[in-house]
Amino acid sequence: MKPSQFQHHAPEQIDEVVGLLAEYGDDAKVLAGGQSLIPMMALRMAAYPHLVDIARVASLSTISASAGAVRVGAMVRQSRAERDASVAKVPLLAKAIPHIGHFQIRSRGTVGGSIAHADPASELPAVALALDARIEATGPGGVRHIDASEFFLSTWQTALDDGEILSAVEFPLWGANSGFAVEEIARRKGDFALIGALAGVTLDGARVARACITMIGVGSTPIRCHDAEAALIAGGADTDLDDIGRIAAAPLTPADDVHASAEYRQHVSPAIVRRALTAALKEARS
Amino acid sequence: MSSPVASRFVGSAVHRKEDRRLLTGHGQYVADASAPRMVHAAFLRSDVAKARLNSVNIEAAKAAPGVVAVFLWSDFHEKFGEAWHAMLGQELVVPPPLAITDVRYVGDPIALVVATSRALAEDACGLIEVEYEPEQATVDYATAAADSNVVHAAWGLPSNVMVAVPFTPMSADLDETFGSVEHVVETTIVQNRYLCVPMETRGVLASWTPGLEELDLIVATQSVHETRNFFARYLGLDEGAVRVTARDVGGGFGQKMFVFREECAVVLATKLLGRPVKWIEDRLENLISAGHSRNELGHVRMAISADGVIEAITVDHVADVGAYTPCPAVMDPTLLPGPYRIPRLGFSTQMVWTNTMGKAAYRGPWMFETTAREMAIDVAARQIGMDPAELRRRNLLSLPELPFTSPGGKVFQEITPLETLEQALGMLGYDEFRKEQAAAREQGRWLGVGICVYVEPTSMEQSTLGTEGATIRIESSGKVVAFLSTTSHGQSIETTMAQIIADDLGVSYDDVTVVQADTQSTPYGPGTGGSRTAVIAGGAAHDAAVAVRDKVLGIAAHMMEAAPEDLEIAEGVVAVRGTPDRSLTIKEVATQAYTNAHTLPVEMAGGLEATIRFKPKRFPTWSNATHVCVVEIDPDTFIPRILRYIVSEDCGKMINPQVVEGQIFGGVVQGLGGVLYEDFRYDQDGNPQTTTFLDYLLPTTGEAPKIEIGHIESVSTTNPGGFKGMGEGGAIGAHAAVANAVGDALAHLGVNVTSTPLGPEQIFQLVQATKKERA
Repeated sequence: MKPSQFQHHAPEQIDEVVGLLAEYGDDAKVLAGGQSLIPMMALRMAAYPHLVDIARVASLSTISASAGAVRVGAMVRQSRAERDASVAKVPLLAKAIPHIGHFQIRSRGTVGGSIAHADPASELPAVALALDARIEATGPGGVRHIDASEFFLSTWQTALDDGEILSAVEFPLWGANSGFAVEEIARRKGDFALIGALAGVTLDGARVARACITMIGVGSTPIRCHDAEAALIAGGADTDLDDIGRIAAAPLTPADDVHASAEYRQHVSPAIVRRALTAALKEARS
Repeated sequence: MSSPVASRFVGSAVHRKEDRRLLTGHGQYVADASAPRMVHAAFLRSDVAKARLNSVNIEAAKAAPGVVAVFLWSDFHEKFGEAWHAMLGQELVVPPPLAITDVRYVGDPIALVVATSRALAEDACGLIEVEYEPEQATVDYATAAADSNVVHAAWGLPSNVMVAVPFTPMSADLDETFGSVEHVVETTIVQNRYLCVPMETRGVLASWTPGLEELDLIVATQSVHETRNFFARYLGLDEGAVRVTARDVGGGFGQKMFVFREECAVVLATKLLGRPVKWIEDRLENLISAGHSRNELGHVRMAISADGVIEAITVDHVADVGAYTPCPAVMDPTLLPGPYRIPRLGFSTQMVWTNTMGKAAYRGPWMFETTAREMAIDVAARQIGMDPAELRRRNLLSLPELPFTSPGGKVFQEITPLETLEQALGMLGYDEFRKEQAAAREQGRWLGVGICVYVEPTSMEQSTLGTEGATIRIESSGKVVAFLSTTSHGQSIETTMAQIIADDLGVSYDDVTVVQADTQSTPYGPGTGGSRTAVIAGGAAHDAAVAVRDKVLGIAAHMMEAAPEDLEIAEGVVAVRGTPDRSLTIKEVATQAYTNAHTLPVEMAGGLEATIRFKPKRFPTWSNATHVCVVEIDPDTFIPRILRYIVSEDCGKMINPQVVEGQIFGGVVQGLGGVLYEDFRYDQDGNPQTTTFLDYLLPTTGEAPKIEIGHIESVSTTNPGGFKGMGEGGAIGAHAAVANAVGDALAHLGVNVTSTPLGPEQIFQLVQATKKERA
């Protein structure tokens, strides 16, 4: 359980990062907290001769709020985001972070690292997808933005090009009368969720003006449940949430693993969606 | 021997001597040790469950950076001698250090790479090319006996059966009883595979010094002395040429009781290289190759009268011992009736080989008797429509009716099964809970209570286990050093033994230093395990302390011109009873004993030291407990949560209540882990599926419930302190208590829980299957 030898690069400018990625190509990997990468290397499931550690790139550790969005730099530690006043304006992000591992993991893990790693059971990719976040990618050609809906391709696969680094994520702000919730089934506190649902709603009286429902642990990416969102918006705040849960669960094709069968995940999905929506609606009403 | 002074330290929760170094990160484990010219070892292990080894090419590995040597079986062949442990007997041989012609489980070591760092050794392992010729593996132990794929075919063995005891009725009228009672209950209880998982993995720093021809081992073990004796035989050395030490050991739970083949390989490597070789097992290795446990099943039959009297119990038992078993400790079927007044018993037992990691001892290795009986009792209670607490109450032994001889030949005395049941039920408020449960069910909530009552045979006599030794010395400063035969791996032995010694000598607890786990300074001990320290090592510590005390009194009497029987010792001062101004400090007595020994009378040899071996009056020393667990299962997610956990225990007189409760906490968490979280799985080809802590789930602080403990104290007469062992009980009782609680929570749905684990997936499947059955 020792990683194979690698060279540790510690650039201080994003240009240097991009330059190193160009120079070493497939032999290089960005180190942005290392809470998934390092265990995979220690288990020798992955080997990279060059790690480009972005911890010293100051521009990647900023959090800034504008009128419509909060921009979180890739290297912002999850523990910092958990307590940050700007991030608090993105309640779903703030609520999701405590579900990530344990505090020691969040002290090293980063917002951008988790989203770029794109584990389908992780919370932060699901937050990005649920809120229609914009992913900022920096590469040899400069900066471009990718919609979260286009970003997650498969397990650990994203729309980042070779030589590109995820440099920040912009989380749009929702208006007043909104509520958010994260519901997970995990065997133990801090474990990857067997299955989870992230929900957000904006109320306009009894009308649901806006809704997002995203599930994790049920496919090779986080899954946005568009049909269920539409049904909730059509049905309003008093819709039978079990029905919404069933609509959300119907198209899912979860997989088996040692912790739970596909059948189990399918079976419990509606209830998790119902719980997430119940909590989100309660918050929106309050 | 004179009687000991009144107890001052025994019975109180004095601060633990181990805490300062352990809690500040200064424990000394194998990984902390180093030696000049030390190199590091890594094993290449099989990733196939069963295969012939057609070829193993090590050329690239030998040429890799930092590599000192790459060993195969051919390098070790004929370089070692006998490979057996005194406790297990000469027939049970530790398997060859590396695979010879074939591999028999995933994790089977094929090559040993020694390099200047562990990372480089792992790099080189990756360069070894193995050509396997895979064969069909045998994985399911329930069918292994009849399987024509034979695990040890290469040894010419005809089947996978290691041991088979045909059905043996222990009572003549067994069949008639089953034919005549009101209720016959039959059920098959299955306990899953889960593991010791010590925090410190296995590890050894082995140093052979050429010229001196001596072997020095720093090793994570439960038994330095048996490790020394083993390697003396293994290398054909005198015992005095082998030194084994273990300053701190981060848990063993049975896994580290015996020498493993990997340790043999590392010892051969240092011998062949003439320089120190260190092997620190990583977690992946520990999970797949350090000995697996539990994984037994039993078809249980019970004959029960109309008024709930259990007239007979039988079991047909099968245990998986894997491919190579480090310790084939399985259920003791003669203990199946447990602490119950059950008059008739019958059993068969079978131990079978499979292409999986071998069986190792784990905290209460025989405990499947408790799991099988206690889960079967709940099945019976559901079947005959009687409350499970009431069914137990009608059949449990209680202190006044002892001694009682069980049909398995066990003579129970000084135990309190019914008393602990009643105490535990009282702590819960059992009747109120049943009302709360009924109300909860009305609201669609699934609440359940589980009970487990057991006896624990502690301080057993088997082969080497019957005695422990102690050497106690008051030094010329008046301070005390106790050299004990134990090898602590987390039992607070330095604390508890110092409490006993301080009381017996009349000195301060802080003035006693305990030395253990060093073969060059401590008396022989068979190893710490089997809940033997309080009774047997405690007996040795007591007797040796009393012998030293008598020497103090003898010399003091000479110095004070008094009779020894008129003297008493308290707080380090020897005084004439009733005349406190006539006194000497122990230091003054020690000065006389050492510095001025020549002035003592001829019959007094000088020095203040004694060595004693202690053997209890009877074997075993029984202890007992009742566990009661309350769970709630979420009907949406099938996740079980423990709401309350209660233990009522009787370990006789407690040396240190905090240590007793710590042992209970740890054991209970291991037992509930095996039901709710831990489950080591193989696929049908023998590939392990749970090889990291991401998949093999240990309960953490967050999952551990508050554990409420009640004590009942019936004093044991097997030893002078009145103690009973209790180190394994938590892990014995928790499994069935938690499983039964889950079963009770689901009973109203018609679910019949008979197997573990019981995570959300299993509970979901049980509920779904029952729904389908009923539809």
